[in-house]
Amino acid sequence: MSRATATVAVSKRGRRTLTAYFVFFLFVLYLPSVILLIFSFNDNTIPVFPLQGFTTRWYSDAWHDESLRAAFGRSLKVATLTSIVATSLGVLAAYALTRRRFRGSNAITAFMLVPMVVPPIVIAVALLMLFRKGPVQVDLSLWTVIAGHVVISLPYALLLLVPRIAGIDRRLEEAAVDLGASSLTTFRRIIFPLITPAILSALLIAFVISIDEYAIASFLSANSETYPVYLFGQIRQAEHLPPMIPVASVMLLLSFGVVVLAEVMRRRGDRRLGL
Amino acid sequence: MASSTPSSRLGRRVRSGAGTAAMLLPGGGWLLLFFLVPLYYVFLFSTGQRWQGVTKAAAFVNGELTSFSWDLWGQLLGPDLKLDVLGASGTMPLWVFGFVEAGLLALALLGGRLGRYGRFVSPIAVVLLVLPYIAIPWGHGLHRIAGFTSPDNPSMSLLFRSISMSLTVSIAAVLLAFPVAYYLAFCLGPAKYRWLVIVIAPFLTSYLLRVLAFKVILTDQGLVNTLLFDVGLRNRDNPVDWLLYSQFTVFVVLLYAWVPFVALPIFVALENQDRRLLEAATDLGASRLLAFRRITLPLAAPGIVAAFLFIFIPTIGEFVTPQLVGGTEGYLFGSAIADDFGQNNDWQSGAVLALFLIAIVLALTGATSKFLRATGGEV
Repeated sequence: MSRATATVAVSKRGRRTLTAYFVFFLFVLYLPSVILLIFSFNDNTIPVFPLQGFTTRWYSDAWHDESLRAAFGRSLKVATLTSIVATSLGVLAAYALTRRRFRGSNAITAFMLVPMVVPPIVIAVALLMLFRKGPVQVDLSLWTVIAGHVVISLPYALLLLVPRIAGIDRRLEEAAVDLGASSLTTFRRIIFPLITPAILSALLIAFVISIDEYAIASFLSANSETYPVYLFGQIRQAEHLPPMIPVASVMLLLSFGVVVLAEVMRRRGDRRLGL
Repeated sequence: MASSTPSSRLGRRVRSGAGTAAMLLPGGGWLLLFFLVPLYYVFLFSTGQRWQGVTKAAAFVNGELTSFSWDLWGQLLGPDLKLDVLGASGTMPLWVFGFVEAGLLALALLGGRLGRYGRFVSPIAVVLLVLPYIAIPWGHGLHRIAGFTSPDNPSMSLLFRSISMSLTVSIAAVLLAFPVAYYLAFCLGPAKYRWLVIVIAPFLTSYLLRVLAFKVILTDQGLVNTLLFDVGLRNRDNPVDWLLYSQFTVFVVLLYAWVPFVALPIFVALENQDRRLLEAATDLGASRLLAFRRITLPLAAPGIVAAFLFIFIPTIGEFVTPQLVGGTEGYLFGSAIADDFGQNNDWQSGAVLALFLIAIVLALTGATSKFLRATGGEV
């Protein structure tokens, strides 16, 4: 962008004000995370000011908390399976929706995106009814949670994948078909390598959505509570808070890492497609 | 392609049709089985064709409906609505109110086509539609300009409270995020995308953990109160006790959670606008304010509306935040649904509320899909 446009859009003083606002905005935005990080080392059984002294015992408490570990293990399992299933379904559907023109494809796209705008609580109670009062009784388990998590992450996978597939030069596929490649080979050798970054971002997004999902997991996980459900139970009571804070700090740092990683991958994907 | 005979082309099309179906089936089937069919069961429950009790007799004893009936829907939609606007109050049947709202929504969307005075119709309709729900967060509660309550129908009152909450949060978030998006789009060079990621990153981290952080900040001896003690505004024995477990808390936490995200659609709208328009305006002698009002703002409008909807729609069914930091007065419509399926064990009433919520959300999404699509593809 040229210097000229910048001065047209913002005066020098406006620019200074906006910079100050931006810095303040980021400060407030990141303040709670920083405070969590500080309190994770605070030597007090309730998280209140003033700070009491340095300790790492909350970290070791959390590390040795068996039920937390079990819940986290379950969440990892659910999130991994959810991301694989949602991304696979998403790739197939996205390819069909972008490369094949047919009547009603817009309606089908809209239908597949609807779960995005439906409140998760509604999806949760609807699945609860299907499994508990439907034609076939299904015991609630991690599998029922996965069923729900795929429903809510599939739209996001589609939104990531459709523009990538649409951005691929159609002539590449036509050339492959003209040279005698089957449609499976074309997909494997042409499409798949080109959308790998998008697939990885879809996997990540689905994983992140699933591992942090509370509403569906709380209604459908029965006794095998996932990590957010466990966390929810703990943070309702003040006396259980301190051991949760280190967990929170580590998770926040981890998820920042994942976000940065996803962004780097998306950029690389853009470059590969020459966007 | 040109050399293929008609029959082989036909064969290819048939095969490709079958292939398309095969590719759509897994994803579509999953949504059909785990999204549409469950919603059908919710409908069956809401009309009493399914019940929660072990047997029909047990269900009857529990006061559940055991045969088809619209009773529960009647209980939700039947009672009159009480309106309090600036001291004046009146009642009207809910369906009248529904018609008025739907009419205003239609005018807001189509007003521009009404010819000569059309461009005034949309804004007026939007203001009439939105204004009554806007609340001013003051002290521990949200104070609405107009009070909608339904004395005989607590869930409907909760719905209006939820709408107020979501609307106020959305408007506040858009107001707070707009300068950020503007700064990113116009004041930063190529580094702007990196800063955009930094702004949005908190949104993508765990929601529960951010709520947890607020519990630490807003308790009686949390960051805010401690600061007030130190400055001398409050006595240590007399902390501000409504910072946690009030409507105010729900408002702050929701706002904080969604603000980073709304910067995105606004940024996209600002970023895509043709910079030469601004230069041309200045060359023709327009002041910065005029150029902003006549060029930047109208071009950013779809992004602003999208940003607004991106918060309003997901927060309208919110129940986690009220449960964690809302206390009793922060109770919302989503909480009522969760409780019907949880501690109240009244699935049939919960089913009615859930369907009503989904109907509102889908109507709103459908009516505004134009705006959502404008920036939705970029997210």
